[in-house]
Amino acid sequence: MSNKSLLRLLQAPSIILLLLWMLIPLGMTLYFSFIRYVLNNLRKPEWTTPSISNWRGLGNYEYVLYKSKDFWFAVQNSLLIVGSIIILTVIFGLAISILINRTFPGRGIVRVLLISPFFVMPSVNAVLWINMILDPVLGLNGLAIEGLNQILKDLQDLPLLGRFFSLWPVFEPISFRATQTSSYAVIIMVTWQWTPFAVLIFMTSLQSEDQQQIEAAILDGANAWSRFINLTIPHLARPISIVIMIQAIFHLSLYAEIEIVSRGNGNKNLPYLIGEFSSNNIGAASATGVFAVILANIVAIFLLRIVGKSLME
Amino acid sequence: MAKLKIKNLKKSYENEQIIHGVNLEIKDGEFVVFVGPSGCGKSTLLRLIAGLEEITEGEISIGDKVVNEIAPSKRGVAMVFQNYALYPHMNVYKNMSFALRQARMNKDEINRRVKNAAEILQISDFLLKTPRSLSGGQRQRVAIGRAIVREPDVFLFDEPLSNLDAALRVNTRLEIARLHKRLGTTMIYVTHDQVEAMTLADKIVVLNNGKIEQIGSPIELYENPLNMFVAGFIGSPKMNFLNSKTLTKNISTIVKGAKREDIIGIRPEHLLKTTYTKSIISARLDLIENLGENVLVHMILNNDDQIIAKMNTAPKEPIGTKLHFTANIKNLHLFNKK
Ligand SMILES: Nc1ncnc2c1ncn2[C@@H]1O[C@H](COP(=O)(O)OP(=O)(O)OP(=O)(O)O)[C@@H](O)[C@H]1O
Ligand SMILES: [Mg+2]
Repeated sequence: MSNKSLLRLLQAPSIILLLLWMLIPLGMTLYFSFIRYVLNNLRKPEWTTPSISNWRGLGNYEYVLYKSKDFWFAVQNSLLIVGSIIILTVIFGLAISILINRTFPGRGIVRVLLISPFFVMPSVNAVLWINMILDPVLGLNGLAIEGLNQILKDLQDLPLLGRFFSLWPVFEPISFRATQTSSYAVIIMVTWQWTPFAVLIFMTSLQSEDQQQIEAAILDGANAWSRFINLTIPHLARPISIVIMIQAIFHLSLYAEIEIVSRGNGNKNLPYLIGEFSSNNIGAASATGVFAVILANIVAIFLLRIVGKSLME
Repeated sequence: MAKLKIKNLKKSYENEQIIHGVNLEIKDGEFVVFVGPSGCGKSTLLRLIAGLEEITEGEISIGDKVVNEIAPSKRGVAMVFQNYALYPHMNVYKNMSFALRQARMNKDEINRRVKNAAEILQISDFLLKTPRSLSGGQRQRVAIGRAIVREPDVFLFDEPLSNLDAALRVNTRLEIARLHKRLGTTMIYVTHDQVEAMTLADKIVVLNNGKIEQIGSPIELYENPLNMFVAGFIGSPKMNFLNSKTLTKNISTIVKGAKREDIIGIRPEHLLKTTYTKSIISARLDLIENLGENVLVHMILNNDDQIIAKMNTAPKEPIGTKLHFTANIKNLHLFNKK
């Protein structure tokens, strides 16, 4: 036996295991997506067991695409949530990491505190945010608006200036459980949780920035903004790509936050839609799963095009 | 082009004072070299001039303007850093034009200046390459080019050659000398290589522990060092220092008016081999280094101090023999120990 084939033979078990690990779920998803398969149907009990005789062809796909009203909404929402979180975490991450990159008293403690949101469980994070901060009555949101209104009222009661303030409207707290705003709640809480991740990665990278280059730029007449754009951002190109890639992978599959904020009312992404289908219609859930895989691939190719170059360098 | 004046300059970090009252005047177009041992404050002094460090006390003026409060980029100085500090994500052209683009100069003028500088430095061929793909010497030229295009009043170099290999260092040194001739701009150059200092400088400033020990032309420092520090620092191999106990004759008969506790300095190249009766020192032969053009003879005095003589031919005597030396009176330096 030649050396090479021995090598292949020895590698085979792990590779086969990996393939099975990926191919079996994918294969089953594909299989279910082409048959009628529901968990509960009194009129057609034969549909409750997966079988090739229940073949439906592209029917599940057709159903998901055209008959269920939520699919395109879920795709759009998936992209909105992922995109917003990525943009916000990168911006906040850059700002915070640059702010704490200088020495100041208590820097160690500040850094630990900054990283800590990352270690909160996602569901706990969601419960805390939606009940204690974003709640329009009991949360910080409600309390702050109430306080503002109180100040406004006091101003209106002033003897002379009161008339001027009387034209001002009373503030309304934002309800983050309403249909339009529940995705914003998810974006806010996940951004809060993942900004530390960006900070952590940018911070280590900032420390390796060459001080003499910065001094050379100062002598060349570059102001702080120009130094940030021309030196710091190119220096951080790779960590920024890493932050974007990893978050794209993670946030396409958000679930807990969406469930806790509004149980999917007005705010669904593809994983949540799959979850809803799979309460009965496994066929449609599988078809949606296939679409989710396709969407993830599109996003991945798109991102590789944009940021992959700086990773490969 | 401009003259530069430093008045009673002091610099402290936290509680530690690094520069202790430096006074210095540099004429328009002069090439001034700061030398001194590591940590003596050469770079700090240069950075104070550039404006990269805040002045604790004193005054720096460039031209006729006090620049203490003027931003680094407005002082008319350009600096070449030891590790080049090129912008890694920009190509050579962008690197060299960065300052001009920041100043919003018009495109044609930028182009003219960069092309011109590139020609002087012979880097026209790699204008579109990134710094990463250049050799050390090429990077150094780009760094110099980046300084040239700004057409500054004063060039500042901080050990620009120390990252280059020996052959390249000699070449680049010559190029810097040529550049100074061509541009005629005031240049301040930091080094701890005394060959660079001796060959490039119109004026050498010897620094030690944040103080100026002596200012003078290379030849002045070589012939008339003010103190033992300067004497030991300029010249290679180092000057030999002899106290009266190690001399074979009474010190006052060698140099008129010298006291017992004074020290006589003789450069290795000025020691002349002679007989015992004519000699002023005797030492045991320890080691001979033959450099081809001349020979370094290492010897040990009776108090175990080492001395070196630079001779044209190696002495024939076996190792361990006592050799006797004298020197021309004009080559003796008398120092009183502080
Ligand atoms: N930012 C700083 N904070 C505190 N001390 C500093 C700082 N920068 C420099 N020093 C101190 O100032 C002294 C002079 O440093 P400087 O870099 O000017 O020396 P140098 O003469 O250039 O030495 P070298 O030949 O090694 O480059 C050193 O003792 C150094 O430790
Ligand atoms: Mg230095």
